[in-house]
Parts: sequence; structure tokens; C-alpha cells
Amino acid sequence: MKMAAARCWKLVSRGRGLSLHTAAEAASTATESTSTDVATTPVARYPPIVASLTAKSKAARLRRVERWQATVHAAQSVDEKLRILTKMQFMKYMVYPQTFALNADRWYQGFTKTVYLSGLPSPPVEPEAPLDLGALRDAACDSLLQEHFYLRRRRRAPLREEPETVVSPFLDQLVVALMGLLSPQNPVLASASVDFKRPVHFYWLRGEEIIPGGHRSGRIDAVRYQIDDKPNNQIRIPKQLPEFVPLDYSVPVEIPVMKCKPDKLPLFKRQYENSIFIGSKTADPCCYGHTQFHLLPDKLKREKLLKQNRADQIEVVFRANAIASLFAWTGAQAMYQGFWSEADVTRPFVSQGVITDGKYFSFFCYQLNTLALTAQADQNNPRKNVCWGTQSKPLYETIEGNNVKGFNDDVLLQMVHFLLNKPREDRPQVLES
Amino acid sequence: MALASRPAQRAFLGSGQLGFGACGIPRREAYEWGVRSTRKPEPPPLDRVYEIPGLEPITYAGKMHFVPGLARPVFPPWDRGWKHPRYHRSPPIHEQPLYKEEPCYIFHQRCRLLEGVKQALWLTKTKLIEGLPEKVSSLVDEQQNHIENQDERVLNIISHARLWHSMEDIPKRETYCPIIVDSLLQLCKSQILKYPSVARRICAKNHSLSAAWTRESVLLQVRGTSGIRLSAKDPLPPIASREEVEATRNHVLETFYPISPTIDLQECHVYDLKDDTGFQEGYPYPYPHTLYLMETADLQPHRFHPEQLRAKMILFAFGSALAQARLLYGDSKVLEQPIVVQSVGTDGRVFQFLVLQLNTTDLASNEGIKNLVWVDSDQLLYRHFWCRPVIKKKVVVEPVGPVDFQPETFRKFLALYLH
Repeated sequence: MKMAAARCWKLVSRGRGLSLHTAAEAASTATESTSTDVATTPVARYPPIVASLTAKSKAARLRRVERWQATVHAAQSVDEKLRILTKMQFMKYMVYPQTFALNADRWYQGFTKTVYLSGLPSPPVEPEAPLDLGALRDAACDSLLQEHFYLRRRRRAPLREEPETVVSPFLDQLVVALMGLLSPQNPVLASASVDFKRPVHFYWLRGEEIIPGGHRSGRIDAVRYQIDDKPNNQIRIPKQLPEFVPLDYSVPVEIPVMKCKPDKLPLFKRQYENSIFIGSKTADPCCYGHTQFHLLPDKLKREKLLKQNRADQIEVVFRANAIASLFAWTGAQAMYQGFWSEADVTRPFVSQGVITDGKYFSFFCYQLNTLALTAQADQNNPRKNVCWGTQSKPLYETIEGNNVKGFNDDVLLQMVHFLLNKPREDRPQVLES
Repeated sequence: MALASRPAQRAFLGSGQLGFGACGIPRREAYEWGVRSTRKPEPPPLDRVYEIPGLEPITYAGKMHFVPGLARPVFPPWDRGWKHPRYHRSPPIHEQPLYKEEPCYIFHQRCRLLEGVKQALWLTKTKLIEGLPEKVSSLVDEQQNHIENQDERVLNIISHARLWHSMEDIPKRETYCPIIVDSLLQLCKSQILKYPSVARRICAKNHSLSAAWTRESVLLQVRGTSGIRLSAKDPLPPIASREEVEATRNHVLETFYPISPTIDLQECHVYDLKDDTGFQEGYPYPYPHTLYLMETADLQPHRFHPEQLRAKMILFAFGSALAQARLLYGDSKVLEQPIVVQSVGTDGRVFQFLVLQLNTTDLASNEGIKNLVWVDSDQLLYRHFWCRPVIKKKVVVEPVGPVDFQPETFRKFLALYLH
């Protein structure tokens, strides 16, 4: 009886090791869960039979990957988690938010699993406090005129350097002025932290490819991306902004699938430090994002695109910048809270972005619903990230001397609404809910 | 000082290429000056015939080729015919359009005065008072001015600036100093609810100031662009009363013979005497409120000493006040309404506070009413900041964060802002 049992023991074990392993694990887990109440099923008296760790086999590789993922799950602090996730450097694509590539926004939607919806999400219903539009308009016009006309600089900057020398200080001044004027109505702005030209980094894996050449050719390898962005200003707040749509909201719009490799965009690979950074380290209490302000460089300005006969790419430039930058920022915020591709976000991360080239402004809202973009995690993931955006509208027509002609109040109002967005705790409780 | 010929000048300077700014001699490319094997050959010396006056040398210029007996022609230097920005040679100093015989001593943002504050006081005809004026000190102590969680927020600002804002382990002073000043200004600006006048202010960077005056027949100028200028729509009210202003008549300015008061100022013969606040007419924020000067150099020898920083603050505050006074009231006289300008100087850790009251633009003589300056020097915001924890024998001796935080300094900063 015993011999017979031992014989079929060995037969089964030499056969399909993997299935026994899963069976044994299932048995052991079943026993663990039921051991407290019923002690009928005996505890397995042999160690779980698992694939080898060091063999040259797919099972062994799977086991090594699982072991690595277990270390990430078991990491005590967020810094340690980020370190384990980013310490191995391999060749990765550098994604530039401000790019001259044609139709870059469709590619970036694919890389970040983002759906683009035109038009901004409807703001929540709440009693509108009266806005002193005159004071806000004066503040905006003052900042505009100060940089464009009143300030006498030592060296007259050439036209190609106008964004850095003229528009960048104007944006800084505008953000600070608007925040100051709106902080009575939005108390979170008083405790917010403004960054001027601080880097934002994000590193993620999405999809798989077959390695074309080298000693690893023919093998399947994950595709890695890195965004290194430097927004002109960003506002970080200590509490999170409320979501625009629920976490599992299914958007009917499809994400564009590109048939070629990312190299065709053009996108280039390099190996350097993988970094994940929201603008300040994990110890900072202001770890959630509110709004980012981006300034388009001189080589992507409208006149140049029109001269190159690429009028349709004007909006693409804005959209691509928004999708890439806001995905990087919200992704980094989520990772700072301990979420990663195997531990997907349990609450959506929301940020807003304003992209401008000095005269034309466009507004974007981004909601990160999922960080699980790797091939393994994305198998049964119905969630998609959502980006809402507007067309670019001019803030003013021209500046003649000390006069701003054709100031557009709608653009200013939109910016004000963005800045008035506050976390759920600070909102006045709506009566019906 | 007649130096020898150019080769001798260059030999004197040594083999290193010092660059244009250092010695006044333009840098030559390697083809002309560098490696011996690639050096351009020296031009041959002129024929003896050219040294004899009154003799017309017969050259082979017309023949278009070398002829053994005739002299080597000397051609005028090639003229491009149009101005190319890269190959512009400035005319010698004596021929420049703005050349003047009388030298002018210019104070710019990198001038480190030898005698520090004493020299600045003499140059601006100012009397020094230690400590901030009562109006500002009262704002410091007033409890209602305090922001909620003020200390905690300032500590967060310090940690953010010194450690959190960049991915490096230990960020450099060039990044953390402007971040500290910007964040503190942002914090002060959040007081807009209690002080609506804060909304009538604006910050400006990169403005270029110039103010000129005479002191005992010596022309002085302040020029430069330095730090952040907070401008306001309303002028600051005068601090010292008329009696105190009159009392300064008896004050005698300290001289430091045998050192000349113009030491360490740049002596210039090519200058333009103008008074420019840095902004065009009709600027909606015409009155300078506070100047924030920052010392951001990483290396200790490149940074200004506190004494020199205070002198720079006095001179720049004086310059902006003087430009404002000339704009409003014209030239040389005792001002009816004294102009007050504040200044804060820092290197990211130590703060210097200053309030200057310009009483008179009559600066040529040493007699008469003097200007007043209140200085509060060497206020530490924190003594040290540990970017990495100090661990001795596996025990954390000093945690990460600021050491010896002094909230008084931020209260003074806030008081100066709200004044």
C-alpha cells in the first residue's frame, strides 16, 4: 500500500512538475484558508515543487520575475520600491513631450494607453463664488505688459530666444499673481508649492518586442520608455484632486493602434538612469499634482509650422505635449504612493495642464486610471487613462506699446477655473449628496 | 603705462590663453598663436625704403608678381564693406562716442568693496542705524500677522529647497538659494486675505538699474541687474520723522583715509550718465518696494562676504531710490517726501535685512542732511542642514533636516514684505 503510493507519487512528480506545483500550492493555500475551521485535509508533507531558479527555461525566468516582483511588493518604503523598480538599466525609448514628430499624439496615446476626448469634463455642480474678473484681468495684463513692454532688459533678446526670456517670466508672474488672487476662494492654493522649471521624470514598460539583433536576438523583451520633462511651472498640493469620472469608466473611444515600431515616430533608444520624479522627493508633503504650465519652444511655434505647410500639426503639438507630460506626472504621483504595474491604482490620479506658446493657450485634464501597462499586467485590464483637451485659443490679439488689444476673457476664465479646482475635502458639501 | 609691442604683452601674460575679458587682448586662434607646427608664419618685415621719409617706394604692385629689385607693396587692410556682427572690432577707447576725460566710478553687481558698509555709507551719504526701525519691528512681533503653521511651513520650505527639489543627493547653492527666496515670497504672498495691499505688488527679474550722482567732485554710478525687485503701486511711507532727518545734519561721515572711497569701483572713461529705473514710463507699479539679492555661487571664494553683501544692498537700494527720486522730483535737493526702499540679501542660509530712506539728492557735499539706513545683519534662518543622516555606530545621531531653526528670521522677512 505504502510502496504503491510512493510509486505513483514519483511517477506523477517526474511528469508535469508545473501542474503539481500549482496543485500543491492550491492545496497548501486551501489548507491554510480552511485549517482554522476544518482540519480534514492534511497539510502537504513535502515542500512545494516549483520551477528551478537558475535553469535556462521559460519557467525559471517566470519564477525569477515573480521573485523580483515579490521583493517589490515586500519593500517597506516607497523609496525602496522605486529603487528596486528602476535600478536595472536597459535600452529604452526617450519620449519627448515637445516633439516635432508628425501625429505624435496618436503614438503617445498608444504608449500610455490614453483615450483623448476633446472638450473638458463638466465641472462639478457647486455654488459659484463671485469672481472679481476685473482684478484678474488687470493682473494678467500687468504681467503681460511688464514682460513685453515695460521691463527694460540689458540685452535685447533675439526673437528666437523670446520664449525663454520673455514668455517664461510672464508665465511665472501670471501663475503667482493668479494664485495670490484666488487663494481666498481656494484655500489649498495657500498651502500649495509652486515649482519653477523643476524636472519631472517617469519610467514605464509597455508592450513587448522581439529583439532584432545581438546576443539576445529572437527573444521577447519588454519595451521601456522614459519621459524627462521640464514644465515651466507646476503646482503641487498636499491633498488629491477629485476624479472627473469613476475609476472603471469605460470610454467608447478606441485608443489608436500604430502598426509600426516606435522607431518610426522617430523615437530613439538610449540607456541611462531610470528616474521617477514628480518635482520633489518622496518626503515632501505636497505630493499630489494640481496644474502644470508648459511653454512650447521656439522651434515648434505656429509660424514655423505654417511655413513648413504643417498647419494640422499645430494642435498635435499641444496634444502630444499634454498627454506625455501629464501621464508622466500622474504616473510618478501614483508611484510615489506605492502603486506600480503589478499593484494597480485603487483611486484615480488627476492633474491639469496648460500648454502655451505665449499667445495661444490650450487646456488639458488628465485622469490616470491604470498603471498596469506591462504585457503581463495588461492582459485583463479594461481600464484606460483619459485625457480631455481643448483647441488652442489666443489670450490676446496683439500688444501695441502699453496696450493689450483683444484680450480674451474666456481663456483667462478657463485658467481661473483650473486654479479653483480643489480637493474633495475642501469642497462645500453639496446638499443633495 | 606704455607696454611694449603686442608679442611682448602676450609673452608677459604667459602661455595660458586668458581670454578677452581678463587682459584686454583678443584671443588668437591656434593657427596664429598655438602649436608651433601649425602656427601662421610671421609676416615679413617692411622694406628699409619705407623708413626713409620723403622717398616714394617703387613696388611691384602694378606688375602683379614678385620682382627681385622692387619693394614689397603695403596694402590697406581689407574692408568688408558691410558690418558683420562676428568680426566687429571696437574702436580704441579714445575714439568711442561716449568717451569722456573725467572718469566715472561704476558700481556693478560683482563689485566687492574693500571697506564694505563704511565705504557704501560714504558713497551714498548715509547714516547707519543698527537694527530694524520700530515700524517694521512692530510688524514682526504682532501675533495676528503670523500665518497658520508658520514654523512648520518654513521648515518644509527649507527642506524642499535644500534637499527635496532635485534628484541629486545634495543640491547646490545655485539652485537652492533662488528656490528658498521664491518659496518664502510665495508664502508671504498667501497673506493676501489679511493684507489686501499685497495684491498691489509685482515681482520683476532681470531689470537693469542705472543711477548717477556726484560725491565730492567724483562721478559715481550704480548700474546693473541684480536679483528680484518687488515693485508696488503705492510708495512706502517715510520711517524717520522730520526731526530725526534734521538731526542727521550733525552727523559726520566716516572716512577711511588713506584708502580712497572709490576703491574697488570700476573706473570707466566711456560711460553714459543716465538715471533709469529699469522700467518704461507709465509702469503701473512704479515704486520700488524691496530688492532681493542672492549670493548663489557654489564656491566660498566666489561668494560675497556678509559685509560686502550689505554694501551691495545699500548701494543698489540707494540706486533705485535715487532713480525714483530723480524721476519724481528732478535734480539735487532735499526731498519733501523721503523715498524708502527695502532690501533683503541672502546666501540661502544667512539673511541681511535693510531699510533705506533717501532724504536728499544733494550728494555733492559732505554737509547737510544725510540719508538713513537701518541694517539688521547676519540673521541665520537655520544653522546647518543635514542632507544625509549622520550615523555613528549604527545610531542616527543627526536626522535629515535643518539644525537650529530660528523662526525670528522669517518673521522679519514677512514683516519687511508686509510693510
